[in-house]
Amino acid sequence: MNVIGFIRDNASLVLAYTGNHIALVLVVLALSLGLWISTGLLISRHERLAGAVIGLGNVIFCIPSISLFGLFMSVPGLGLGRRTATLVLVLYAMMPLVRSVHAGIRSVDGTVVDAGKGMGMTGLQLLLKIQVPMAWPAVFAGIRVTVVLITGIATMATFIGERNLGRLIHQGITRGDAEMIIAGALIVSVIALALDYAMGRMERIIISPGLQVQGGERPRVGA
Amino acid sequence: MNFDTTLFLQALLHRAPGHIAEHLQLVLIPLTLAVLIAMPAGILLTRPAYRRQAERVMSVFNAGQTIPPLAVIALFFPFMGLGYGPAVLALTIYALLPIARNTVAAIASVPEEVKEAARGMGMTPGEIFFRVELPLSIPTIMTGIKTAAVLTVSTAVLAALVGGKGMGAIIFAGIHFFRFELVLAGTLYIGIMAISLERGLALLERKLTPPHLKSARRRGTI
Amino acid sequence: MIQLEQVSKTFRGSRQPAVDRITLRVKQGDICVLVGPSGCGKTTLLRMINRLVEPDDGMITVDGRSIAQMDPPTLRRTIGYVIQQVGLLPHRTIAQNIALVPELLKWPREKTARRVAALLEMMDLDPGEVGHKYPHQLSGGQAQRVGVARALAADPPIMLMDEPFAAVDPIVRVRLQDQLLRLQQTMQKTICFVTHDINEAIKLGDHLVVLKAGRMVQSGTPLDILTQPENDFVLRLLGDDRGVKILDQTRAETLMDPFADAAAQAAANGHRVQAIDPVKIALERMMLMNTDEITVCEGARPVGLLRWNAIKAHVHRISGGAS
Repeated sequence: MNVIGFIRDNASLVLAYTGNHIALVLVVLALSLGLWISTGLLISRHERLAGAVIGLGNVIFCIPSISLFGLFMSVPGLGLGRRTATLVLVLYAMMPLVRSVHAGIRSVDGTVVDAGKGMGMTGLQLLLKIQVPMAWPAVFAGIRVTVVLITGIATMATFIGERNLGRLIHQGITRGDAEMIIAGALIVSVIALALDYAMGRMERIIISPGLQVQGGERPRVGA
Repeated sequence: MNFDTTLFLQALLHRAPGHIAEHLQLVLIPLTLAVLIAMPAGILLTRPAYRRQAERVMSVFNAGQTIPPLAVIALFFPFMGLGYGPAVLALTIYALLPIARNTVAAIASVPEEVKEAARGMGMTPGEIFFRVELPLSIPTIMTGIKTAAVLTVSTAVLAALVGGKGMGAIIFAGIHFFRFELVLAGTLYIGIMAISLERGLALLERKLTPPHLKSARRRGTI
Repeated sequence: MIQLEQVSKTFRGSRQPAVDRITLRVKQGDICVLVGPSGCGKTTLLRMINRLVEPDDGMITVDGRSIAQMDPPTLRRTIGYVIQQVGLLPHRTIAQNIALVPELLKWPREKTARRVAALLEMMDLDPGEVGHKYPHQLSGGQAQRVGVARALAADPPIMLMDEPFAAVDPIVRVRLQDQLLRLQQTMQKTICFVTHDINEAIKLGDHLVVLKAGRMVQSGTPLDILTQPENDFVLRLLGDDRGVKILDQTRAETLMDPFADAAAQAAANGHRVQAIDPVKIALERMMLMNTDEITVCEGARPVGLLRWNAIKAHVHRISGGAS
């Protein structure tokens, strides 16, 4: 079996599929981060909404991705292709992102918030100077899960006409071509791992060293 | 979009029910196998002799998780041919990670002082495991199994692509013929199966969980 | 000056008021200690002063202005706040933590930096070493000193301190208490201090307020409360060594027999204490020297004689002759 050989022989096709795949993932990621992080922040301040929103995210998450593609492709204005693919993947990203933002904000030590409030921070200052920075580790964990997830599920968009790495796998199945399947799977994994790695680097830059305690120990706050 | 009610009802009442048993097989067999493999493996990884390897093994598992489900299903069939076998094998492998990960995390999170106290009372390592570590870990391990169950119910749809039948047959047919009604009918059954399985496991969890942990059970579950 | 007028608070879901019609005045430059068992309402009372808790009833004024009319964040920036858990922001360095309120008040950067360094110095922390650390790298005692420094950052005239030293070990606690008293001599802040530790209350307080189940049981100077406990509750709170505590709060000059003339003054023996020293110190010295009397001086000048019998009689009298 010669996966490398397959990739070399079909370089332009593989490259085009890879490009499409990454483009779709990045667009979805950008939209999801904007939409779901703000949703997560919103429901952290309105606990009543939280249950309903997270519940909705869970329900969406439990629907097989192929079903979501199948359901939305019939909606007028969406149809086969990029628009439906983007929408479905953004919906998929809802659960891990919203939940991690919500959990991150909620896990912030109450005494720290109390101290901030006692020093005269306004609600917005509490959010931006205390809750958000302290929630970053949890949020980043959610972002990394989402990146890997979206990269994988994006392969399914091939069934509604996306020309990405899923097509290599799908055609590999149809033709019984193992090299084609493995090539597709391999490149998807590499993309997922690379994006995860990039996020890991970014995490180290963004998250305060005060929260990056070695040995997995939670930072000791207070006494 | 024009909704064809007759087609939908026909799919819902006549075509889809035939796939329920197939689909349940595609879920329950891999899930059982995964529990039988991943739980002992997870437990082994928390034993002192293997603890050092745990992180490395888990990172291999994590890397495995980056292979898209479509590819996992597809990978085995070139070697095993079309049918039920490769689908079951692929779904088993896919269900391993959440169970193994939660088992390791659960047992590792048992507080050191609790184990220390047990040692101080004269418990043997075996007694400590069965009377202290395992009971305290059940909620988190069950969370992993529930996650794996829901994941398998929806991933099993892909088995239809490699001749493994199941509810995926009707959903993919809907995609191919652009019949939204078929997709909806199949998905409804998937949803019902996922919810019932999750509830059933939750019931089992309540039976297994020591009473004092039950109030804490709601926190941190998926 | 802080004034509370018939202030009450009942939390939702509770039938008992947490704070029940409390009237209280904290004088400028005083340390007022709210003391009582847990659940007595002392923390709730404290948190009403910076509006972290809103009273149901009554009125609170600071320097004659009702705080109900003020914007809470603006009010809080003029009041230092120290809590038991310290509540340092884990994602900010120590220097950034202390700079928090100046930052909120939009001080120029250099002024803030100078202030932070001065405060660390004042708290006996090395600005070069500690300033760049993160909270998890500090010991409990260091963290609490940073907490106090942070509260002092914008030089607020008022400080609210909620069991600030309760979580540190006894040796560190004594050191922190001494440091607070030393600082207070120069700072002259108006301080409200909450504690459940009567010894801490007596040591730090200019004025004590004893609380029980939301009601004020007694208020006064430590000596007032020690010598005239209102009831059995206060008596029990004061502990079994009330007599010794009284001697610690009583100045030697109050129990001495003043010298009638220069002759008596000249005859004074060699063992001496200062007039403002506590009687407890005089007693300690008398025991060490195995003597029944000691000369009380103002500076170098002998002013009277303190006798063992006078001390004994004093304790006996104020404790009502109780066994």
